Amino acid sequence: MAEIIFIGLSLASILLLVALGLAITYGAMGVINMAHGELVMLGAYTAVLAIRYLDVPFVLCMPLAFLVSGTIGYATERLLVRHLYGRLIDTLLATWGLSYILIQLVRVDFGLAFLGINVPGLGPGLQNVPIPAYLTRPILIGGFHFQTYRSFIILVALLLLLLTWWLIFRTSYGMQLRAVSANRNTAACCGVNDRRVNAWTFAYGSGLAGVAGVLLSGLQTVDPDMGTHLVIDGFLVVVVGGVGSILGAIASSAVLGEINGLVALWWNDTVARAAVFALVIAIIIVRPRGLFALRGR
Amino acid sequence: MDNVLSIRSLTVEFSGFKAVDSLNLDIARGEIRVVIGANGAGKTTLMDAISGKASASQGQILFNSADITNWPEHRIARAGIGRKFQIPSIFKNLSVRQNYQVALSQEPRVLHNVFRRPRDTARIEDVLNLVGLTGSADEPAGNLSHGQTQWMELGMVLVQDPALILLDEPTAGMTVAETSRTADIINRLHGRHTILVVEHDMAFVRSICRTITVMHMGRKLAEGPVEEIENHPAVREAYLGSGGIGHA
Amino acid sequence: MKPRVAMGVGSVLLIALALVLPAMLGALWLNRVAQFMTYGILGVAMAIAWGYAGILNLGQGLYFGIGAYMLAMSLKLAAPGSLEGGTPMPIPDFMLWNAAPGAPQDLCCITSGSFLWIPFQREWFGVLMGVVVPAVVALGIGYTMFRARVSGVYVAIITLALALLARLVLIDAQPVTNGFNGLTSLSFFSIGGITFDPYQPRTYYLVVGVLALSLVLAQWLVSSRAGLILQAIRDDENRTRYLGYNVASYQVFFFVVSAVLAGTAGMLYVVTAQFASPTFLDVAFSLSMVVWAAVGGRNSVVGACLGAIGLSVLSSAASETPALLNAWQLVLGAIFIGAVLFLPRGLAGVFNDLLRRHAAPDTSRAASAPLAASGARATIPGQ
Repeated sequence: MAEIIFIGLSLASILLLVALGLAITYGAMGVINMAHGELVMLGAYTAVLAIRYLDVPFVLCMPLAFLVSGTIGYATERLLVRHLYGRLIDTLLATWGLSYILIQLVRVDFGLAFLGINVPGLGPGLQNVPIPAYLTRPILIGGFHFQTYRSFIILVALLLLLLTWWLIFRTSYGMQLRAVSANRNTAACCGVNDRRVNAWTFAYGSGLAGVAGVLLSGLQTVDPDMGTHLVIDGFLVVVVGGVGSILGAIASSAVLGEINGLVALWWNDTVARAAVFALVIAIIIVRPRGLFALRGR
Repeated sequence: MDNVLSIRSLTVEFSGFKAVDSLNLDIARGEIRVVIGANGAGKTTLMDAISGKASASQGQILFNSADITNWPEHRIARAGIGRKFQIPSIFKNLSVRQNYQVALSQEPRVLHNVFRRPRDTARIEDVLNLVGLTGSADEPAGNLSHGQTQWMELGMVLVQDPALILLDEPTAGMTVAETSRTADIINRLHGRHTILVVEHDMAFVRSICRTITVMHMGRKLAEGPVEEIENHPAVREAYLGSGGIGHA
Repeated sequence: MKPRVAMGVGSVLLIALALVLPAMLGALWLNRVAQFMTYGILGVAMAIAWGYAGILNLGQGLYFGIGAYMLAMSLKLAAPGSLEGGTPMPIPDFMLWNAAPGAPQDLCCITSGSFLWIPFQREWFGVLMGVVVPAVVALGIGYTMFRARVSGVYVAIITLALALLARLVLIDAQPVTNGFNGLTSLSFFSIGGITFDPYQPRTYYLVVGVLALSLVLAQWLVSSRAGLILQAIRDDENRTRYLGYNVASYQVFFFVVSAVLAGTAGMLYVVTAQFASPTFLDVAFSLSMVVWAAVGGRNSVVGACLGAIGLSVLSSAASETPALLNAWQLVLGAIFIGAVLFLPRGLAGVFNDLLRRHAAPDTSRAASAPLAASGARATIPGQ
C-alpha cells in the first residue's frame, strides 16, 4: 500500500514540477504556453549533452537545465508572447507553433543535419541519461523498499516548491509579480516595470520546466516528442486546480497523480490516463473555476 | 394604474453584501423613470436583476403581471425587456446594419433562422436615420467613434422594440451636444415605450423625465417629481450636496 | 472586381480545375488528391466552428475518426478476408487471430464487445453511423459545455482531452478495434451497385462532389440569418443573450454541423485511403486542422478549405525526403506563428483586402477594422 502511494507521489511530483511553471505563467500572466513541454524536453536534452560532452555530474545538470530553459523562456516572452497579452487563445496557438519549431530543431540537430552533420545526443532518435549510482540504490525504511531516485524526485519537487513560494511571497519581485497579475495597468502606474516582471516570470516558469526535464531523463528515454503529452497533462492539472492558485496546482497534481497510479495498478496505463482525462472533463464542466480558484481571470 | 414593472422587496446579495435591499418600485406604462444615486447605491445591480444578469436572493420582479424573477436572460429579453449597457457592447466585426439585423429578434429560434436570410426592414432604416448612422450603415461597427457607438447601441435597443427599455448611463462620455441629442431621442420614445434610465448627469435627467427614484445603499431613499427630489433634505445630504441639482 | 463576383469566378475556376484533373494525373496521384480533398471538407468544418462560431475545437480529429471507423467497420465486414475463416458470417480477420482458442465463431461473442459489429454487416448502417454518431457525440458534449457556459479556452482544452481520451479507449479496446493497427484490408465502398475503387476517377468525382456540396451547404448556412446571429454570438455572447437569443442552441447546432462534416470527411478518407487508424485521433492531426484554418483563413469557408488542401499537398510533397520534411515543418511552424500574430483572417483575409482595395480605394477604411480581442476578425460576412 505504501508502495502505491509512493509511486503516485512521485508521479504527482513530476506533474507538479511541470504544472508549476504552467500555473505561474497562466495564473500570473494570463498566457497559455503550449511550448512548455518542449522546455521540459530541452532540459532533458541539456542533461544528455552536458553529461556526454562536458562530463557534468547529474545533479548539476539541474541548475544548468534551469538556465538553458529559462533563457529560452525569456527569449520566448520577449519575442513572441509580449505581442499577445490579452489574447489568451492566440497565446495558446502561437506557442503551439513554437513547440512545432522547437521539436523540429532538435530533430535536425539545430540545423546541422541539413549540412550533413549528425550530432550524437541530438536528432530524432532516443537518448538515455545514465543516473549516478548513489541514486539507484534502494533505501530500506521500516521494512519498505523506497526507490532512491523517486524519492529524489519528490525531494527536488518539494525544494522547488518552497523556493517558488519564497520567491512569490517573500521577495519584492514576488510582490511585484502579484501586483502585475492582479492588475497590470495599476501596477505599471505605481512604477512596477511590468514588462520586466513578465519576462522574468516566464523565464522562471520555463526554468522549472528544464529541471523537470532533467529529472524525467532519469526515468524514461529522451526523444524530441516527449514534451507533447506533458504540456497537456500539465494544463489539465492547472485547470483543475484553479487558475492562479499554486495551492490548487499542488492539490490537483497530487490528486490526479494518485488516481493515475491507482487506476494503472488495477487496470493498465492506458485506462489510467483515460480515467484522468474523463475526470478532468467532468470537473471543468461542473466546477469551471477549478477546485481552488482564487479569482476569475 | 397600469404598471409595466412591479418590483416587490427585491434583495440582491453578493457573498453577504446586499447590493439591493428590500426595494419596492412601480413603473407605469409609457413612463420615463430615472434612477439616481451615488456609485455603489445599487442602480446597476437593480438593472442586472431586472434583465437577468444578477439573481435575486429575495423578492419578486413582475413584468406585465408575469413573474420574471430569476428567469434566464434571453427569456426576459424575449418577454419584452431590452437593455443598453453602460459600456457599449456591440458586435464589432459586423456592420452597423448587420448589428441591427441581429437586433431584429422577433423569431429567435436557431432552426427557424437557418432557413431565412438576414432581413432588412423599414424599422432598421428608420432607426438608422434617428441615430444619424445611415451613412455608416455598412461599416464595421468597431470603426465608430465613442459617441456614435453609444447611439448605435441605443438604436439596437430601438430596433429590438421592447416594451420596457433599460438604459444604463446612456450619456456616459458624451459631449454636451451629444447629450442633448440623446435627450431628444429618448423623449421621442416617450409614450410608446416605457423607459427606465440610470444616470448621473442631472441636467440631462431634468430634460427627459418627470419622476425620479433615488437609491442609496441598496434601498430607495426617495421618489417623486424632479422639483421635490431637488429639495429633499435626505437626498441632498446623501447625494446631491447642498448645491442642489447641477452636475452631480 | 467586387469580392462576391471574385468568389464566384474563383469557385468556377476551381471546380473547372477539379473536373479537369483526372485527365492530367495518373491514378496514384488522383487518389492522393482525393485524400487531400477530404481534408478540404475538414477545413470547411473548422471554418464553421472556429471562424464563424468562435469555438476552437482542438479535437476535431475525434469526429473525423468516428466517421472513419464507422464506415471502416462495414467495409471490413464486406471484405473478402473476413469470410476466409470459413465461418457462416463475416468476422474481421483480427478477431479470428486474437480469439481465445475455443471461442465461438460467431460475431456476437468471438471476443468481448464483438457484438457491436453485428449491425455493420449492412453497409448503409456504416454510412448512417458515420453521420449519426459524430452528431450525437457533438450534441452531448456541446450541450453539456455550452449550457454550462464554459469559456473559450476551456472548450478548447475539453475538446482536446476528449479526442485524446477517445484515442486511448480506441487503442485499449483491442479486441473490438484492433488497437494500434487500425482497420485495414477493407473492401471497396459501394452504393447501389456502383463500386468505388479508390484509384478510379469515379471515386475522385465522388469526393469532389461531396466537397462541392459541403462548400455550398456551408456557405448557405453561414449567410443565413442564423449564421449572422452566430457571428454576433462569437463577437459578444452576452449581448446576444440580451437580445433574446438562446445562445447555447446556436452554438450546439453549428458545433454538430461541424462534427457531421468532419465525420463525412472521415468516411470519404476511408473510401479513398482504404484504412482507419487511431492516428486520426492524434493531437498532431487535430492541430494541423487548426493550422490549415489559421493560414487559409478561418473566417472564410473557401479559404479554410483551400488552406487545408494546399498545405496538405505541400506537406505531402515535402515528405519525399526526411530532410525536406523537417525543413517544411519548421517553415510551417513559422507560418502558423506568423498567421496568429499578423494575419488573424489568414490568407483569405489578405486576398479579400486586396480585392477591396481594387474595388474602390475610398472604402479601404472598412478593411482595416480594429483588431478584436480574440483575433476573430471577419470580412464583412456574405462577401
